[in-house]
Amino acid sequence: MTRWGMVVDLRRCVGCQTCTIACKLDNGTPPNVYWRLVRDVEIGRYPSVKRFFLPLQCMHCADPPCLTVCPTTATRKRGDGIVYIDYSKCIGCGYCILACPYEARWLIKGRKGFFNNLLTEPEKLSPLSDKVGVCTKCDFCVDRIDYGIANGLKPGVDPDATPMCVNSCIAKALVFGDLDDPNSEVSRLIREKNGFRLLTEMGTDPSIYYVW
Amino acid sequence: MKTADIVKVPTYCYQCVCGPDLLKVVVKDGVPVAVEPNFDAAEMHPAAGRVCVKAYGLVQKMYNPNRVKQPMIRQNKKKGLDQDPQWAPVSWEEALDLVAEKLSEIRKKGLVDDVGYPRLAVTLGGAGTPQAYFGTLNALFAVWGPIDFSLGSGQGVKCYHTEHLFGEYWHRAFIVAHDAPYTRLVISFGHNDNAAGGVTGVWRNAEARARGMKWVQVEPHLSVTGATADEWIPIKPKTDPVFLYGMLHTALFELGWEKVADHEFLKWRTNSPYLVGPNGYYLRDPVSRKPLIWDAFGDAVRTYDDRRLRDPALAGEYLVDKAVEIGPDNEVFEHRDVVGKTAFTLLLEHMKKYTPEWAGGICEVNPSTIRRLAREFVENAMVGASVVVDGVKLPLRPVAILLGKTVSNGWGAYQAVWARTVLQMLVGAIEVPGSILGVTIRLNRPMFDRLESVRVGVDGFMAQYLNPTDGEKWEARPKVRNAYKTLSPLVLDSSWSQALGPAHLPWLFMKHPPENWPTPTPPDVWIIYRTNPLISGWNPDLIADCIKNFPFIAAFAYTHDETNWFADVLLPDNTDLEGWQLYRVGGTSYQEQFWNYMGVAIRQPVAKPPYNTMDMTDIATELADRIGLLREYNTAINNGVLGFRLKTPLYDYSLDPERKYRAEEIWDRICRAATMTLSNGRHEYGLDWFKKNGFYLVPYRQINWYLHPVMVAKRLRYELPYQEKVARVGLELGRRLHEHGIRWWDAQLEEYSALPECHDFSKIFEKVSVVFGRKPEEYDFWLVTTRSMQYSWGANVAVPVLADVSSHVMGHRAVMMNEDVGRRMGLRDGDEVWIESAIGRVRGRVLLRQGIRPDTLVALQQFGHWVTPVAKDINLPNMNKLVPLALETTDGTGSGSDLIKVRVERVRR
Repeated sequence: MTRWGMVVDLRRCVGCQTCTIACKLDNGTPPNVYWRLVRDVEIGRYPSVKRFFLPLQCMHCADPPCLTVCPTTATRKRGDGIVYIDYSKCIGCGYCILACPYEARWLIKGRKGFFNNLLTEPEKLSPLSDKVGVCTKCDFCVDRIDYGIANGLKPGVDPDATPMCVNSCIAKALVFGDLDDPNSEVSRLIREKNGFRLLTEMGTDPSIYYVW
Repeated sequence: MKTADIVKVPTYCYQCVCGPDLLKVVVKDGVPVAVEPNFDAAEMHPAAGRVCVKAYGLVQKMYNPNRVKQPMIRQNKKKGLDQDPQWAPVSWEEALDLVAEKLSEIRKKGLVDDVGYPRLAVTLGGAGTPQAYFGTLNALFAVWGPIDFSLGSGQGVKCYHTEHLFGEYWHRAFIVAHDAPYTRLVISFGHNDNAAGGVTGVWRNAEARARGMKWVQVEPHLSVTGATADEWIPIKPKTDPVFLYGMLHTALFELGWEKVADHEFLKWRTNSPYLVGPNGYYLRDPVSRKPLIWDAFGDAVRTYDDRRLRDPALAGEYLVDKAVEIGPDNEVFEHRDVVGKTAFTLLLEHMKKYTPEWAGGICEVNPSTIRRLAREFVENAMVGASVVVDGVKLPLRPVAILLGKTVSNGWGAYQAVWARTVLQMLVGAIEVPGSILGVTIRLNRPMFDRLESVRVGVDGFMAQYLNPTDGEKWEARPKVRNAYKTLSPLVLDSSWSQALGPAHLPWLFMKHPPENWPTPTPPDVWIIYRTNPLISGWNPDLIADCIKNFPFIAAFAYTHDETNWFADVLLPDNTDLEGWQLYRVGGTSYQEQFWNYMGVAIRQPVAKPPYNTMDMTDIATELADRIGLLREYNTAINNGVLGFRLKTPLYDYSLDPERKYRAEEIWDRICRAATMTLSNGRHEYGLDWFKKNGFYLVPYRQINWYLHPVMVAKRLRYELPYQEKVARVGLELGRRLHEHGIRWWDAQLEEYSALPECHDFSKIFEKVSVVFGRKPEEYDFWLVTTRSMQYSWGANVAVPVLADVSSHVMGHRAVMMNEDVGRRMGLRDGDEVWIESAIGRVRGRVLLRQGIRPDTLVALQQFGHWVTPVAKDINLPNMNKLVPLALETTDGTGSGSDLIKVRVERVRR
């Protein structure tokens, strides 16, 4: 089996938000909607303070709480672990937003661009331009993965088959690959650097690992 | 990729000085929709073809409905902050005719005015980045005649100014960087590499961290670079040189220089063994006038280049029977039986008093920390180690001390840069693998070959081309308004020198002319491009007061902004993704660039421009034609002003000097010339090839990153640690100024010393308030700034998606303050405060956090806009409004520093 997942190297991430903006542009998300972003975190008290950057996105959980609460079955999970939304079925009720412990889901309330109601030509061509009143989130750039596999490319290795955030990262802090493949780069990193996941106590079994 | 109607257009991004980086724009049905790294360059680009956050804003930048969409002419003849320009749209013909008419008037009247200043002034934005976007405009400037490029928009304040000047002087390092692939330890004094190092800097550092490089960040607040550091040391603002002196003292005396130093390096690659006479100048052979060294092998005095020299004595004093010293203005001091001390001995004597206890008391860092870092520095230097690069065995010295902008600007910067470089010198960690390296040169020539700029000069050092200070050649009458040749010998006299002179002084002197000085006049025509001095310059109200009297301002304009509010005509040029240009990439040019390839990349229109804008090359050609300089303009392009000659024995792509060419035609020829030059005649690729392929690269050897092999081959020494020439030049400059009744530069002259004295430079900045009739004790906070990678130099504050994503990085919405201090003042996150200095006050919100000293505030980047769309709604205060333009804060290199004492008060509703 294949289970797509990601490893985030917190020692490498510089919080530049290049992945945030690359995702925004590629997926056409409107202002204040972030399928992924990097939190700027500070812990400790002066002068013993540590600041670090925490990339967050949909964790593509093996047991996604957003899926079980969806009243229309719009939220689905593929055999390769990718959790996605069938927008034609989503009614924008927001249950999934409340259920997701990672705050990774975003309701698009209206068709508003970066210049308010005036949509630029690129914004009009956004894949989300007709998605109003639905909940949205990261889908691991599933179309890129499917395209890549169909064309003999390897997700996580070939850029055309890899999520844009990973392609864009300027610190090589994001690695994508098959968690079920013990020889994949993600599996190696998790193994060698003691990868950990967020909020596993919620029973979500997320597919995003962090290493330090 | 997703559908058949998608194409990916290669281009470059050079919105900051780190690059150019290579990218592709995804164009769907003729409309650009996304940006990707250029993975075609993944194997050749040091960051695997990536581009940073700013490049992803370019699509929105292009389609921004707030752009100036056609040329405009001012209707309101009055200018001022309170005067609405009353813009009226005009055709390009009308706009260009108007500019050409004003330029032609100058040519009729004479290119310089009655005071002697150029009638045409041009101000460009950050650090040479505009050149990557202004097409052939340089060719027009080249043939115009005298132009004043010295009206500053933040230069000398927002850059690594002292490092620029002394870095190039010592090791051809306009910018100093660590050799990340090898470095084991970086001690960074406010050097914000994660924000300022660009894609290559971030990538190389991330790789280095992954392999175990240690990074110590010394700075008043925990920056984005401090975030990935192994240790943060919260130092008091502007006391960095004191810390460095404490480290140097520790290394010399407590750790023992005999044990830790790289003796071979000191003996053969520095002036450490040079004998210095009683007047402070080198003891020289009376006949050859060459500096003398004591040879411990045979106990004899020899000239530095004597082939018999076997063992230069580093320490001690020696009796020389006959010698001379040469002082200022070639004064000769003749000696018999004179005692000469080695320069290194003088260094030891000089550094004796700068103990860690002395330093710790000033910089508020425990002396034990200073000692520990000094020890870690010398231990990690691995003196004696070597590594093979490109088949050549080189010393490996994997330690680097890096300096930030406020550290290498303004008073104390000379001391910081000197102490840093002397520490590196002590362990032989200059221009060898792992150590500090120069990345680029801007003052010396040839500009794209740092190694070739190392030429044999006098006294065993590389040739230096300082501006003359002798009585005959000193430029007594400044030829441009910042008087760089008159006041700043180390800034040299190349095309970048004007911008690196004291570029804030013209504004100050226009309003407050000093004694016995030709008051700067308003230029007849002022052209501005990718710059906004009313935001980026100190005391913008004073600058506004100056420019309201400028008779004609032509502004290349992306949006309306604070400075072009005063313009007479707005010229909306094609922006980043709309214009043509071929630009150099690779090698070690530009910041943090260490490539194994070098070559050129194309910038091209990715789609039809959505508004009535014009390519800069076409604008330059039209203006050249209208003012009767077309022939000279084409000839300048033929002669290589754009980087490559159009005619050589290999090829001839010359322009007909009498003909007007479209941008594509010109750049096609430059593409062919570039590829023929780089391939030595093997490849001829025109514009059509570049449209598809984007870049052309040839191998560049890694050994060319290092100056060391050239220094060895040419038997040259670094002019360290003893600054004999600097001291002599300073005395000469003082004499010249005094001969002309100028005393207001005396404090700056004190900086010209052979071994710089160090003290608590923060006191200078504390006392600035006194100049304005206020008391220092009224102001209890230091206000400093920090850089935003998301905004720096991109001319993109009007691009909302950058505001959107940067809001996740601390400081992009509020001024940062220590949480405990804020709470004691009754403040909460988001509360509005007044921040007040001796010259003004600004209003903004506060962000309370722990990673900042209790006595420090940080205002990120430069905002405070009131005209620029989007930016004016960001509601961040601009510290520039609080910082005075003043001689008191201007150092000897002509730079100031971005910090000021302020007080904070909650806004009462």
